[in-house]
Amino acid sequence: MDVDGEDVSRRLHVKFVTKLDSPFKVPVNSVAIPSNVTRLGLSSIVNSIIQSDNPEWKTEPFDFLIDGELIRMSLEEFLLAKGISAERTLEIEYIRAVTPRKEEEPSLHNDWVSAVNGSSPRFILTGCYDGLGRVWSSAGSCSHILEGHSGAISSVAVVNSKDAETVTVATASKDRTLRLFKFDADESVDSSTRVTAYKILRGHKASVQSVSAQKSGDMVCSSSWDCTINLWNTNQSTSEGESVPVKKRKGNNQADESQSEGEAVTTLVGHTQCVSSVVWPEHDVIYSASWDHSVRRWDVETGKDSLNLFCGKALNTVDVGGEGSALIAAGGSDPILRVWDPRKPGTSAPIFQFSSHSSWISACKWHRSSWYHLLSASYDGKIMLWDLRTAWPLSIIETHNDKVLSADWWKGENVISGGADSNLRISSGIAIS
Amino acid sequence: MTKKSKGGKEDKTAIETKSKSVSGKSQKQKKPVEKEEELIQESGTDSDYDGDSLSGSLNSDDFDSDIFESEDDVTQGGTEEDGGDGESSQDELLDHEGSIDSEDGDDGSEQIDSDNIEEEDGSDEASDRDEAVEESDSSEDEVAPRNTVGDVPLNWYKDEKHIGYDITGKKITKKERQDKLDSFLASMDDSKNWRKIIDDYNDEEVELTKEESKMVRRLLKGQAPHADFDPYADYVDWFKWTDAIHPLSSAPEPKRRFIPSIWEAKKVVKLVRRIRMGLIKVKKPEEEPEEGPVPYLLWDALTSDQKNKHLTYIPPPKLKLPGHEESYNPSLEYIPTEEEKASYELMFEEDRPKLIPTRFTCLRSIPAYENALKESFERCLDLYLCPRIRKKRINIDPESLKPKLPSRKDLRPYPNSCYLEYKGHTGAVTSISTDSSGQWIASGSTDGSVRIWEVETGRCLKVWQFDEAIKFVAWNPLSSLPVLAIAMGRDLFFLNTELGNDEEQEVIKEMFHSGNIPEPEASVAAIVTWLSDELYGGIKIRHFKNISSIDWHRKGDYLSTVMASGETRGVVLHQLSKKKTQRLPFKIRGLPVCTLFHPSLSYIFVATRKDVRVYNLLKTGLATKKLETGMREISSMAIHPGGDNLIVGSKEGKMCWFDMDLSSKPYKTLKNHPKDITNVAVHRSYPLFASCSEDSTAYVFHGKVYNDLNQNPLIVPLEILRGHSIKGGVLDCKFHPRQPWLFTAGADSIIKLYCH
Repeated sequence: MDVDGEDVSRRLHVKFVTKLDSPFKVPVNSVAIPSNVTRLGLSSIVNSIIQSDNPEWKTEPFDFLIDGELIRMSLEEFLLAKGISAERTLEIEYIRAVTPRKEEEPSLHNDWVSAVNGSSPRFILTGCYDGLGRVWSSAGSCSHILEGHSGAISSVAVVNSKDAETVTVATASKDRTLRLFKFDADESVDSSTRVTAYKILRGHKASVQSVSAQKSGDMVCSSSWDCTINLWNTNQSTSEGESVPVKKRKGNNQADESQSEGEAVTTLVGHTQCVSSVVWPEHDVIYSASWDHSVRRWDVETGKDSLNLFCGKALNTVDVGGEGSALIAAGGSDPILRVWDPRKPGTSAPIFQFSSHSSWISACKWHRSSWYHLLSASYDGKIMLWDLRTAWPLSIIETHNDKVLSADWWKGENVISGGADSNLRISSGIAIS
Repeated sequence: MTKKSKGGKEDKTAIETKSKSVSGKSQKQKKPVEKEEELIQESGTDSDYDGDSLSGSLNSDDFDSDIFESEDDVTQGGTEEDGGDGESSQDELLDHEGSIDSEDGDDGSEQIDSDNIEEEDGSDEASDRDEAVEESDSSEDEVAPRNTVGDVPLNWYKDEKHIGYDITGKKITKKERQDKLDSFLASMDDSKNWRKIIDDYNDEEVELTKEESKMVRRLLKGQAPHADFDPYADYVDWFKWTDAIHPLSSAPEPKRRFIPSIWEAKKVVKLVRRIRMGLIKVKKPEEEPEEGPVPYLLWDALTSDQKNKHLTYIPPPKLKLPGHEESYNPSLEYIPTEEEKASYELMFEEDRPKLIPTRFTCLRSIPAYENALKESFERCLDLYLCPRIRKKRINIDPESLKPKLPSRKDLRPYPNSCYLEYKGHTGAVTSISTDSSGQWIASGSTDGSVRIWEVETGRCLKVWQFDEAIKFVAWNPLSSLPVLAIAMGRDLFFLNTELGNDEEQEVIKEMFHSGNIPEPEASVAAIVTWLSDELYGGIKIRHFKNISSIDWHRKGDYLSTVMASGETRGVVLHQLSKKKTQRLPFKIRGLPVCTLFHPSLSYIFVATRKDVRVYNLLKTGLATKKLETGMREISSMAIHPGGDNLIVGSKEGKMCWFDMDLSSKPYKTLKNHPKDITNVAVHRSYPLFASCSEDSTAYVFHGKVYNDLNQNPLIVPLEILRGHSIKGGVLDCKFHPRQPWLFTAGADSIIKLYCH
């Protein structure tokens, strides 16, 4: 190793380590590199090392961590900022860069795509302003159309996809109702089949804004402009008084299948304004965000709110995930994505604030397996991927021409999003270890 | 006598006798000899003179030397040797006459000797003497003192090394003095020493000439200094001795003129006695200080006592005096050449000479000359007009005059940044209205369309297209009755927004059903007509005049309509449930501009062009209150939800805050907008109010009303919201009913939402 350093910059001794599998591994030797390299330089160094062993190697972007923090400036500045000594051999961990490598064909809808859901790896569920829900098995191929709503769909949720045969989904609409649909996801079709709801959930007095399903799939909760959160049963079997057969008002024999109506099991009251978003991550815990500037955690058993985080801004979206599935991320009527840790005692200040967006945040979702990664979608037309270990976005997806209304992860390595340009877009190939 | 005087004389004679050079020279040589002899004679006759020193030919030599000072040799040569020394000295003296003369010197001098004796008799002694006197006088005049310090006490220079300055300004240094012993020995050796005097002023030894010593002697004797002065000259009797006929006074001299005064004697005795007794102390004559006034350096004094001594101490000027190059017409050698000028350009700016001498032919061609007269006139004018009295200035910190307002940060939240825009209209958006929940907003535009937007996403949900420009839209304040009132031209429409739930829809449909419109009452038949609208399934009310403003009552059943008409026809109330119209039970003075229902009581505010009147709806008669705005033309009103505070916007850009408990005069008038205020708005729950104007800005204010009646409302300007295009301005602004957000409708066909 030549250390005499003809160039002005200092040289650092580093060791590249990784938790990745064999094709990505490099020998654990220490190498000397100039201190002014950035992520790109480090990435090319690692690529060249791998290529020297494996000639068929295709260049792959990497991201680098020192002591659990992502490098987003030159190595020298990073060490200076963090106060890390450059004397000893540095251990740099590298991971595959979290950035989409491929952009799928957009799937065009009739109207604005207001909701997307990618919780089932088998299909993508979208809701649209034309009142139809759609099931996409892959980009551009719509397998089912869920019809019945008279107003725009505002939110969709997959209730139960564990069963091999049928899948249950719920849609919430601005026509004040929710509908539950059942269909066979694996059914291979050329043209999309139309599905009607097996259950209509009535009870909200105003537009339903959000729906979320319990893990077990027995219940769904929904939030609405009438400031309430309603809990509903999803089972088809009609118990006494809970559901009545639908009245065939118009007398046409279109609906052969039994269509039942459901009423709310419980109503969670407490919010003073529109409840814009709910999530149901655990068996008896519901998180909700509202325009009354608060995020609340509800105990399903008692129906009381056990946590009340005041944010100061009207909130549009909330999600729970991260370390121990305990961190709350929420975004709303300002360009800042905030992350709270409710376990932290004595404070309700957010522990992270990401402010690279330039308009309202419409959606935020934690990655389902990673503790660090989350995405946010905004009315400025951008989707940003975040890592808690750095304050800068990992990557910015700018495929939409208009507001992004909803976004989600799909199959762990894709980002699906729907927006005011009436398209469902899929950005794939995001490597999250 | 000095060289100079001698030389001068020589000059004179030379000019006189240019043609006969030889004879002229002889004259020259002659003169000193004459003098010498004369002096000898005189000294001989002088009886008082010390015989010792005067006797012998040596003395005469001495005198010669005195007369000719440094020309000792010449005179000696003349008297004793006639040697070649004379040549050299003459050369020195008469260098301008050339060397030929000096060659002749030897012979000439001999001749002179003989000539002297010959001419002795012939020459008039008196004239000779006169000449000598004249000479001495003139010589005295010509010799300028070496020292130029002037008539100052010499002890000023006592401590200095110099005694003064010569004519060129150089210091004259003091000479070494002989000590007493040396000088005594010198005097013993030198017989002439008695005649030597030390001139302190010039610091040199002067030997008195014979003539001078003679003069001194005469003065000592009390005689006239010059021998030719005749003390006993004939008396010229100027008096006219002829007797006057009349004496001036015939009175004999009184005796008292001839005897000493007794009173004076008494007085003297008295004084003497008192002095002896010690009652009067006679001052001893003050001994003059030896030193005299202490000299000091006038221009070098920066000492503190110097400053203290003078009341107004002015530091010495340090300016360099102007030189020749500053002249308007300097000599040619001062004018820089072209190369020099070029070299100046290359120099650094600091090193470059400040003034480059230039030549002008006359003063008039100096550039400053043209303005000189005007400038001097202006200076004079300035002096003439300048105030003679010092202006009194009040020393107030301008910061302290500012009202103590809380910081904007403490008054959050308030709308400040625009994130959402509602685009779709093709004409200027004239009016907007939010529904009571804040989920939707309705807007009307000059393109004839009414739109309903989803606030959250900016999506346009519904569009109604009309033929006329929309003047006003107003959402029913009841959430259970989602009906929109729209004013355009002479028509008022009630539209079903179809946003309520099924039961509400049923109610509205029933209400709007065309069949059940009752016959209008006779009193209003001329003013309004109720019709059903086929196109959108609503109700249309046609008025007899163009509608300028509408306002819903808080209960959502009554709606007031304002038309530009006087008396009782300007404002009518429509009742939606009964489909009935009624006039106000009172007369309105002037043309109404807009009306406003009290948020909790049965009052109505009616704004005319100049003022606002408050009427009780349940009573007929006069206004219960009249609010004087003092503005030219009212454009809009908004009421605080408490009902006691009213905000009025005017077309001159002024906004008034009325505290109706306080007075009928505005509590505060805010002048912010340079152009017409188009609308004002008050937030339902947050302490915020706003105004929007044709200058395409909207102002947001904090307006806190306290429950305590003693505390006046707090008004703080918070934010200027810009963003709409300049043309046309902002036509309407409304607050979101639940969030601290402001909607603004612009003439640029865009609705903007400003969030906190």
